[in-house]
Amino acid sequence: MTDSIYGGYANILEELRSMMEERINTYTKEVYQETGLKICEHLIARVKSEDSMREKCNRKGVPETPESALKRMRDSIGIRIICPFIDDIYENVNRLRNFPDCEVVEEKDYIRHAKPNGYRSYHMILELETNYPDILGNPKGKFFVEIQLRTIAMDSWAALEHQMKYKKHIENQELIVEELKRCADELASCDVSMQTIRNLIYQG
Amino acid sequence: MRLLLAEDEKELSRALQAILNHSGYAVDAVYNGQEAVEQAGKNAYDAMIFDIMMPVMDGITALKTLREQADYTPVLLLTAKAEVDDRITGLDAGADDYLTKPFAMGELLARIRSMTRRNDTYTQKKLTVGSVILDTSEQSLSCENSIRLANKEVKLAELFMNHAGIAISTEEILDKIWNNDGNGKAVWMYVCFLNSKLQSINADITISGEENGSFTLYVVGESA
Repeated sequence: MTDSIYGGYANILEELRSMMEERINTYTKEVYQETGLKICEHLIARVKSEDSMREKCNRKGVPETPESALKRMRDSIGIRIICPFIDDIYENVNRLRNFPDCEVVEEKDYIRHAKPNGYRSYHMILELETNYPDILGNPKGKFFVEIQLRTIAMDSWAALEHQMKYKKHIENQELIVEELKRCADELASCDVSMQTIRNLIYQG
Repeated sequence: MRLLLAEDEKELSRALQAILNHSGYAVDAVYNGQEAVEQAGKNAYDAMIFDIMMPVMDGITALKTLREQADYTPVLLLTAKAEVDDRITGLDAGADDYLTKPFAMGELLARIRSMTRRNDTYTQKKLTVGSVILDTSEQSLSCENSIRLANKEVKLAELFMNHAGIAISTEEILDKIWNNDGNGKAVWMYVCFLNSKLQSINADITISGEENGSFTLYVVGESA
C-alpha cells in the first residue's frame, strides 16, 4: 500500500470531521428547540480524497507531502452547511465564530460580494486546536477546517454550474456564462424575497 | 392621476383646471417655467402641460431643465399657431406632444390620455441613482452585485428612481402600479422586497417610509 498523503493523520482528520459535524448538529438542535426554526437544512462533511489532495498539491506546485496536505492546503476537512434562508447562514457563522477552540483564519462573504460569474456562498477557514499532536510537533496540534455556507438555491446553482464546467469548448461560451449569471441573480432574487416574506410574517 | 399645469394666462389656467378636475385629474397650477421646474421636483406627476410663452422662464427652457435633471415625465406643450420653430425646438427638447392654441378641450383630454398611456416610451431603459443602475429591459438592479427583479419591482424601482428624494404616497403607488387593484399591504411588501434587494447588491440608496404611508428613495448619507 502506498503511503497516505495525510501520513499518519488520516484517522485524526476523520475524527475531527465527525466531531465538527456533531457540534453543528448540536447547536442546530438547540436553536430548533428554542425557536422552532431549522437553521441548517442539511450538511455534508468530508475529508478530501487522497487523489483530489494529490492533484491539488500538484496544481498549486507544492510537493505531495503530508505537510503540504495538512498545513499548506486548508481544505483537508471540508464542511458544507446548507441553510433554508439567507439570515440562517449568518446565524451559523456567528455560532462557528464562537466555537471555543477555533480561530477564524479567513472569511469570505461571496453573498454580499458575489463573484462575477454569479456564485454566492459564505466561506470560512477555521483553525482547530486539538489534543492530538500535529505534523509540526505541537502537542496541542492545529488542524484546518474549511466551511462553506449556502442556501438551498445557492447550492443548486453551484452544483449545476459545476457539472457544466466539465464540458470543455462549449459553443457560445460568452452567452452561456451570461445566462448562468442571470440564473444566479434570479435565484438570489427568490432567496431575498423568501427572507423578506419570513421577516414580514414573524414581525406581524 | 396628477398633472402639473404651467400657464401664465390666469383665466385659461382656471378654465383648464376646472375641466381637468372634472375629468378626474388632480391638477397643480403654476404660472411660469421657473415655478414649473420647482414644483416638478416636489411631486411625482403623471404628465405636465407647459405653455411655451411664459414670463421668468419659458416652457421650452423649463422642459430642457427637467430633462437635464433626468425627469422624463411626459410633457405636452401649448404653442401659438404661427410658431412652427417653437414646436420643432420643443419636440427636440424632449416634449412628447404639442397642441396649437386655440384648441378644443376634447382634443387636450385625448392627448393627455394618449400620453399617459404610453408613459414608458420616453423613459430610459437604464436609470442611475447613486451607484445603482436599474436596467428595465433586463429587469435587473446592479451595484456591486446584481439581482433580477419581478415585473412589479421593476415598475416600483422605476417610479422611485425617476423621483429620487420625492415622497410618494401609498395611494399614488396603488394608482400608478397596481391600477388601484391592490392595497397598502401589497405596496408595503414590494417596498420591503425592493429594499432587501437593494441591500443585497450593497446599494447606496434605500427607501424610507412606513406601511400605508409615504415612501422616499434617497441616497444613503444624503438627507432624506
